[in-house]
Amino acid sequence: MPELNYKKIQPLIVSEKNYFSKWFGYAGLWIGVLILLASVQIFFNIQKILHEDNPRKNGFDYISISKTITNENMGKDNSFTLSDLSELKSAPDINNISPLLSNKFRAEASAGSVMPFSTDLFLESINRSFIDSVPASFAWEPGQATVPLIFSSDFLEIYNVFAPAQGLPQLSEKTMSSVNIILQCSGPLGTQNYRGNIVAFSDRINSILVPGNFLSWNNLHLTGDTSTRIERVYIQTKDANNPQLISFLDQHGYHLNKDKVKFSRVKGILQNIVAALGIFGVVVIALALMLFSFYLQLMIARSRDNLRLLLTLGYSPAWLAGSVAKTWLPVYFIIIVSAVIITQLFHFLFRELPFVNKDALSIFLHWSVFAVAILLLMVATYFNAALVKKELNKLI
Amino acid sequence: MQISLQQIVPFYIDKSNINNSEVWNKNITISQGEHMHIVAPSGTGKTSLISFIYGLRKDYTGNISYDNNDIRKLSNESFSLFRQKNFSIIFQDLRLFENETARKNIEIKRMLNPYHDAPMIDEMAERLGIAAKMEQPVKTCSYGEQQRIAIIRSLMQPFDFLLLDEPYSHLDERNREKAMQLLYDECEKRNAAMIFADLKPLDLLKGERVLRL
Repeated sequence: MPELNYKKIQPLIVSEKNYFSKWFGYAGLWIGVLILLASVQIFFNIQKILHEDNPRKNGFDYISISKTITNENMGKDNSFTLSDLSELKSAPDINNISPLLSNKFRAEASAGSVMPFSTDLFLESINRSFIDSVPASFAWEPGQATVPLIFSSDFLEIYNVFAPAQGLPQLSEKTMSSVNIILQCSGPLGTQNYRGNIVAFSDRINSILVPGNFLSWNNLHLTGDTSTRIERVYIQTKDANNPQLISFLDQHGYHLNKDKVKFSRVKGILQNIVAALGIFGVVVIALALMLFSFYLQLMIARSRDNLRLLLTLGYSPAWLAGSVAKTWLPVYFIIIVSAVIITQLFHFLFRELPFVNKDALSIFLHWSVFAVAILLLMVATYFNAALVKKELNKLI
Repeated sequence: MQISLQQIVPFYIDKSNINNSEVWNKNITISQGEHMHIVAPSGTGKTSLISFIYGLRKDYTGNISYDNNDIRKLSNESFSLFRQKNFSIIFQDLRLFENETARKNIEIKRMLNPYHDAPMIDEMAERLGIAAKMEQPVKTCSYGEQQRIAIIRSLMQPFDFLLLDEPYSHLDERNREKAMQLLYDECEKRNAAMIFADLKPLDLLKGERVLRL
């Protein structure tokens, strides 16, 4: 049908003459689209800004959790069961877990003449992949007199804070690494003496770590106790500030280091605000589309006789509906494209704000903003065509 | 293509009044190339019959089929295709766009599925004596002129069946002859059937089957 041209029959279809309400509808749609697109972009901006970077992180956050001790469960067994561990491992926001195994024997450490003090120690072991810096020397075989230690940076910092008050020297990481620690491990079945060397410091694990087989060998041979009791677990997650993760841990009564997740509450609130804005945008769009649907129905009602005659003469309802709907396409296109441009301008300005780390945000809008814009254009056009076709079919 | 009418009876007709009808409640087949003349006084259902066949109304019992397809089961889209390719019609009430010109009225139908090029409009208008009226709004033309415009409109597309509902009621004998001849010529080009409904038999017919309603 090469000669068929909607423009030739367009004068038969009476359009809306009330320009004020028509432009009011356009403005409403534009505002709704702008709010929705801006909400989508802000959502992703928040994700980027509140996502902390740690050079030793390898793309994950590591959080230590234990069971919250309350008056009700005080004195009871608050260790993690196999079922607890299984549930943690399969939680949606948790990538991997590693329990911390601890010493059942008594471990007493002294530094000889270097530092005139001795102390009981807790020793723990964890899956090697969870430790941020693991040198090759962090290994032990039964019979070996030396034992490598990985020391928490936080503990060294705490020591250096209280050391002067106790008349003790402050120590650097390098000095600590050169200190020979005399480690006496004892239990009901005997005593073993070792020389401990600090081979690395950990920013991630706040513990004194020993190789796993050192712990298990001495637990067996000094105490005969081979049972596994897990009081602490490290979880590996993509984002420690994920409100869903924090909520999951809270619901299960797990205690965690709040300092690690300090942004989660802020992030959660901001996400809710942005989501509410986005929903508001969708409502405004829906109202604007409803207004346009009234226009269409009015237009079809006014042109009823002409439309009925066109259909009687053999004009296809689908073709007529599509042709009428397409007349709105330029309007929708202009509205949506201009809203994308304004959103991009807002994004440029947002990046210049003093509290924003510009490097964390791309210059251009997130791809999902464009996807939402295209989806809106398709929805609006389809909605129009479907409505016109429905009204035309009523005329036949 | 073939149209079959199987025991068609409009809802509004009392069945006791149709015993003498050669159309109602009968089985009739109309094939391409065949002409049929339906004769009936006013108010006996000529327009209803044409409307039933064209698919505009469904208030009847019985079945109408296009090539064994029951037209009651056709969608609006399917009807539009039939009306573009297989059926053309001249309504008793003409149904023109009154505010548009004669040429525009004809062009609106022609461009849907053109059988003739645009210059043919002028040729036919010349033949029927309304060439001077082509650029006038239809509402300013006389009823007879409007009938001729409607006739030309119906001939702009391909068709297998041409339905006519009292198309010459306001034409004098000379113009009626010209219009009739034009219709015969166009039907012959397409090997189309003419289903022609009028109040009385016409002298101008050429051996059509005549059925009384």
